[in-house]
Amino acid sequence: MTEIQLKQIRKSYGNVEVIHGIDLTVNSGEFCVFVGPSGCGKSTLLRIIAGLDDVTSGTVEIDGETVNGVTASERGLAMVFQSYALYPHMSVYKNMAFGLENAKLPKAEIDRKVRDTAELLQITDYLDRKPKALSGGQRQRVAIGRAIVRDPKAFLFDEPLSNLDAELRVTMRKELSALHAKMGDTMIYVTHDQVEALTLADKIVVLQKGRIEQVGPPLDLYNKPQNVFVAGFIGSPRMNLIDATAVAGPEGLTLTAPNLSVFVGKIAGLEAGARCTLGIRPEHVLLNTGGTPDTTCEVIFTEQLGGETYLYCDVEGLPQITIQQVGQLPFVKGQSLELNFARENLHVFDADGQVLVNGLGG
Amino acid sequence: MANLTDRIKISDRLAGVAAWLVLQFFRIFEIPLSLIQRIVGVRGMPWIFLLPNLAFFGLFVVIPLCINFAFSFTGGTDLFLSDRIYTGTEQYGFLLDCETFGDPITCREDRFWKGLYNTATFTVFQVTFLVLFSMITALILNREIRGRGFFRAVFFFPVLLSPVVVALIWKWILLRDGIMNAFLVSVGLDKILFFVSPEWSMFWAVFVSIWAHMGFYTLILLAGLQAIPPDLYEAAEMDGTSKERVFWRITLPLLWPNLLVVVVLALIKGVQIFDEVFVLTGGGPGTATQFIVQYIYNTGFTEPVRNFGLASAASIVLGLVLFVLTITQLAATRARDNG
Repeated sequence: MTEIQLKQIRKSYGNVEVIHGIDLTVNSGEFCVFVGPSGCGKSTLLRIIAGLDDVTSGTVEIDGETVNGVTASERGLAMVFQSYALYPHMSVYKNMAFGLENAKLPKAEIDRKVRDTAELLQITDYLDRKPKALSGGQRQRVAIGRAIVRDPKAFLFDEPLSNLDAELRVTMRKELSALHAKMGDTMIYVTHDQVEALTLADKIVVLQKGRIEQVGPPLDLYNKPQNVFVAGFIGSPRMNLIDATAVAGPEGLTLTAPNLSVFVGKIAGLEAGARCTLGIRPEHVLLNTGGTPDTTCEVIFTEQLGGETYLYCDVEGLPQITIQQVGQLPFVKGQSLELNFARENLHVFDADGQVLVNGLGG
Repeated sequence: MANLTDRIKISDRLAGVAAWLVLQFFRIFEIPLSLIQRIVGVRGMPWIFLLPNLAFFGLFVVIPLCINFAFSFTGGTDLFLSDRIYTGTEQYGFLLDCETFGDPITCREDRFWKGLYNTATFTVFQVTFLVLFSMITALILNREIRGRGFFRAVFFFPVLLSPVVVALIWKWILLRDGIMNAFLVSVGLDKILFFVSPEWSMFWAVFVSIWAHMGFYTLILLAGLQAIPPDLYEAAEMDGTSKERVFWRITLPLLWPNLLVVVVLALIKGVQIFDEVFVLTGGGPGTATQFIVQYIYNTGFTEPVRNFGLASAASIVLGLVLFVLTITQLAATRARDNG
């Protein structure tokens, strides 16, 4: 069981700083997912932990020991690459045994470890095959097997499922989750897919432009985003974000935008006349409740997913609003809908994009 | 804005005129081509388009090859095949008549065997060191070194030179009054006669040939090295693989198909060696650097009695050797393509 700590990690390529002083602790046995858009620095951070890239400043600690000058192999970590990085000229068995041979383990022990791991991952039948004779999912299993067989302190995954098709990705996601539950090892997983992050992680680290935007359990990030970026990034379909102005009224503040008026009462830190961003998830937009609508929109497009229906609506002067409804609802293009935003799920962010409130408390 | 629109309109108009001209040009072929198509049918048309190339290939490769083959079964000094005497396999018999094949002196046509022996010696040394140096150079140029692009160009430049020019440059350096000896004299040393001993002549033939061709093979190996995904090296690093083991267990096996192609290509080129060594040493001293192609050239064209039949038979023997090597090269390429 291994704890990994990053302290004030900075990384520059020439004059360009890509990681801007990151502090993070990955607890022992935790499944930690780094998520963020392309170029946010998540893979760089993983490579820094692995020892494949040096830090410009800051320290990486594994179980309390600084490993900055320690080579990748001596850190005792194992990495699963996006491309699998299997040695194409070696059989599955040789691929898995290669690291153990480097460590000069006895042949019998290597054989036992490889076969035990192959059994765990159900790849025993493919041990004699070359990687090119395997499917994407099988290759991925071999890559994971190559990591497991070394009995590392922690596992590092660099977008390991991104080369798989959607169905296989779901299967492998479940298998990875089960594997983590079974082994209980520390795992750090990089992905740009927030669904993967939400389904796999004990802890999610949302990164943007080399900075951590928020760290927390998946549902915390979903329910209580700390800023506009996390609010927009986590969740699919993404949260509706509308720029508004706080207008004072006799009973409190109302957030107004063209063709939109949302009474919010009192919000700490938000004063009359201030600019803010109002956030509401698609499933929290209520249709035709009968009361005074917050806004009225026109349906421009619908997506029927069987169990639920997505509506994409236009309100003049506002960005497109996405609505998620349970069931198969027969909306047609051009239909007018009255919308209300559920106050207990309404998020309000200040002009700098930082959260003011996550839910108005019913 | 108006200017820009005018300019676009002018360029559009020019493009239209150009397209019209191209169309008119191709219309010239329309009538004869449709006539030919009516005669040979649609299925025969690809052959019509291939015809110019086939004619060229036939005229300069297939027909000479056939004539050469026919010549190898004839004797005498007449140029025209119809005037020549049919001798059957006599020329081959003459070439292959040896008491001991390992010793050229025991052969009736010892010059042929000496040429063959020299070619084999040259090829073994040239190919071995050529591949070795190309490999080392490719490995160095594949690393993040300062001025990598410059060095890549420097190593490739000799490939762009004609073999004759290469030989003349080195002759200019190595001759008795060349710049190397001028330098040695200027530092108080004696002149060295680089082409006097057979061993040194062979050494310089091999050296110059390697210098001239190394860039090409380095390029093939460099392409092979760059095709190895960097992830594999990172995976090996994570696996705690030593640098030597990375080379032997990852780089070399993955480079093997390229290496095989390089070896076979170098072998074929080595066996065909002629021009640069001919200019550099003239085949001397004696016949120390006279190779099989030079033997064919001398026998057929430079000797007072031009023995076309014998030269042709020797060409056929050389052709067979090259055929075997080419088949090997094709097999190697196929193995590479199949991963």
